[in-house]
Amino acid sequence: MARYITQRLVIAVITLLGVSTIVFLMLHLLPGDPARMIAGLLASDQDIARIRIQLGLDKPLVVQYLLFLGNLLHGNLGISARTSDPVLTDVLQRLPATIELAVISTALATLVGILAGVIAATRPNTILDYVLSALTLFGVSMPVYWLGLMLIIVFAVNLHMLPAAGDDSSTSFILPSLTLAAFSVALIARMTRASMLEVLGQDYVRTARAKGMRENRVLLRHALKNAFIPILTVIGLQFGTLLGGAILTESVFGWPGIGLLLVDSIFARDYPMVQGIVLVFSTLFILLNLGVDLLYAYFDPRIHFA
Amino acid sequence: MFLKTHKSYLERALVVIGLIAALALAVACAPAPAAPTSAAPPPSAPVPTSASIPTAPPPVAATSGPAATSAPAATSAPSAGAGTTFSIAEGVDPDTLDPMGQTTTTVQNMVNYMAEGLVTLDPTGKIQPLLAKSWDISSDGLTYTFHLQQGVKFHDGSTFDAAAVKANMDRILDPNNTVPLRGVLSAITSVDVVDPSTVKLTLKQPTAPLLAGLTETTAAILSPATIDKSTPGYKKVDHPVGTGPYIFKQYTKGSQLVVTKNPNYWGKKPYYDTMVFRIVPEAATRESLLLAGQVDMIILPPVSDIPALQKNPAVKVLLGPSDRTIFVAINTTSKPLDNPKVRQALNYAVNKEAIIKNVLFGAADVMDAPIAPTLFGYCKTGPYPYDPAKAKQLLSEAGVAAGTKLAFMSPTGRYVQDFQAAQAISGYLKDVGIDATPVTMDWPSYVATMLKPQKENTTQLHVLGWAPGYLDESQQILQFQSDQHPPSGLATSFYSNPQVDSLAKQALTETNETKRADLYCQANKIIWNDAPWIFLWVQRFPMVYSAKVTGIQGTPIEMWDTTNAHPAP
Repeated sequence: MARYITQRLVIAVITLLGVSTIVFLMLHLLPGDPARMIAGLLASDQDIARIRIQLGLDKPLVVQYLLFLGNLLHGNLGISARTSDPVLTDVLQRLPATIELAVISTALATLVGILAGVIAATRPNTILDYVLSALTLFGVSMPVYWLGLMLIIVFAVNLHMLPAAGDDSSTSFILPSLTLAAFSVALIARMTRASMLEVLGQDYVRTARAKGMRENRVLLRHALKNAFIPILTVIGLQFGTLLGGAILTESVFGWPGIGLLLVDSIFARDYPMVQGIVLVFSTLFILLNLGVDLLYAYFDPRIHFA
Repeated sequence: MFLKTHKSYLERALVVIGLIAALALAVACAPAPAAPTSAAPPPSAPVPTSASIPTAPPPVAATSGPAATSAPAATSAPSAGAGTTFSIAEGVDPDTLDPMGQTTTTVQNMVNYMAEGLVTLDPTGKIQPLLAKSWDISSDGLTYTFHLQQGVKFHDGSTFDAAAVKANMDRILDPNNTVPLRGVLSAITSVDVVDPSTVKLTLKQPTAPLLAGLTETTAAILSPATIDKSTPGYKKVDHPVGTGPYIFKQYTKGSQLVVTKNPNYWGKKPYYDTMVFRIVPEAATRESLLLAGQVDMIILPPVSDIPALQKNPAVKVLLGPSDRTIFVAINTTSKPLDNPKVRQALNYAVNKEAIIKNVLFGAADVMDAPIAPTLFGYCKTGPYPYDPAKAKQLLSEAGVAAGTKLAFMSPTGRYVQDFQAAQAISGYLKDVGIDATPVTMDWPSYVATMLKPQKENTTQLHVLGWAPGYLDESQQILQFQSDQHPPSGLATSFYSNPQVDSLAKQALTETNETKRADLYCQANKIIWNDAPWIFLWVQRFPMVYSAKVTGIQGTPIEMWDTTNAHPAP
């Protein structure tokens, strides 16, 4: 187990190196001069030239890349070109807000999604199943942007129940979490239904029922646990997607997380900040995947790590 | 060694890389809302929808003193509002609160609550005293002597005096400091303390717009202790410690900036105890916040909702005047656009009134000169009326065949309804036989494309907005001077006319106001006739506030001032 985790972590480092290389190259391929963006359109040529030197943009690309990697090895993500604050400080300050949304919506989506999926699977091809299918289809296809604005109009403008934007009240998280969860609920529910239907047709479920086990116990202890691996995979992947989906949700709700920071940074051509955010995102994503893989063993004892 | 039952890790690693790459790519390619503000529209919708494109004040621009001490005195205003808060939702997350580092109008606007300069602009755009009571300008125009307000204290308790002015000006003029909007201030060669309440600026050449330049937030005066050479504040202060009506309290990145009333303010004290600037990039969300009663005022609602908001008795819409001219820059070095007749034809071809009414929902006024009417130097030279027959005639005289293709680009979300307007313009051009379909890109790419040197520059028509930082034609005529061509300048139509160059040069050092205005007027007429732009409109700057409050003003440089705000009677 320990050896397995070590191996995975080594590969994670290699992956991160790949990710940072791709991001580095992509940023530098984008048109747009960061020095010009930072200095403003009216800045003098001297100011722009000085900023270019400050940011190291006057050096050849290869040198810039090696410097970037060198700093990375020292855990130094650099200084934001836009705000001249350390990237790591800014990212760590904004990350909790994004993680808060992602965790709450994942929890919500998992709970509701599995419940809906199990209900649909136990009553296949009934009205209830069709209604749930239609609802989940709606959820998967609804744009986050539109849903967010609709929720704001209903709950903040019309009902005066919840804050429309920001994170300064204890109820602020509700609307963005709902918005973010909608897509995942649908996906998890659909995966649960499919996976459950497959398992419910297995012999051991028939056996369990035949020996008089209570239906709830059959469903939860035997069927759901065995149906859970593909569901877990979806939840894990969704959590990662939620971090990304936060970009839109955070923009709509003015939620001060890392997604909003990423958008601002890309438009300011703030190379160090974009690189830092993507690296942190990727690290989280990779660790999450590792966590999900380790959980597989719990749900399926046949899986061993060696 | 890996999971026995599942696909290899390598495969998954590739998926992760792909996802991240796709994410970055999708974000980068999303139709670009402006840099500082704005929510990205869903990346899956490359064509902007008609509603809720947030508009970003570009990083070129402006300032005024929030303290508008010269504003009509609201005599009946309550003297105190203990425990009261006024919240404003706006779209821009500040990059820096240091006056010296300012580039963005909205950020300057917030800084102005905390820091003041020697002079300011009043709501009509006129220069008024602020920290300087009065000033004398020597007859050769080379020396400016400022007589300062006495008894003014900075927020840290230290005294405002001539030495403080000198410390600040020296910092701004230090060539090693990054001062994006240093502009005309670079004409200052020395700053001398005459006595504690008198300071003298010496210039290397007469510079008519110097006072106008001093109204900018860039030149705000901070407590010398916070910007001493030995402190990090010399390069960049985290928050301004000035003399303004509000004191910095807290800034949470991406969330909000909070300022509190300065109990020792030397001017008219504001009503509200606390002023909160909430950062909300999405225009539709800002509108909802106001309609839900969760903020008192918003900057830039979705323009398509302006007519509905105007009918709503719970709110008031202020279509603030702006100095931002919106135009299609014509590459005057590219055939057939090197012929002035063709450029005039394009001006006659576009129905500006119809676009303002139907696409901009009234939030603009047709341009009738190469500059906005609020600028010094303005004289009416137009407009070009909508006359497609005349356009066709001019085009045929110039030998332009029907179906001629022109490369046309427009930003998306940078200015009010910019790309939508470009599509409408394209339709009008089609009517006179010009095929110009607009393309769009994100702002940094757009800037890079339009600032290519003339030989590599492939754009023929591009939509651009220009908002002088202070209300003087010297800031607008830059767009028509031949020494301002890209890549180093921003005169993106590559227009050159020796007469205009010479008039602009004379006007910059002419100290007689009447003569100076006349020089600009002559230049304006030549420019209008040469038509290096399709002259479109002067944008309005929409703000909406709750009908429960009053005393809110806009200044003509896309700023607002709520220091005199108080509950409506």
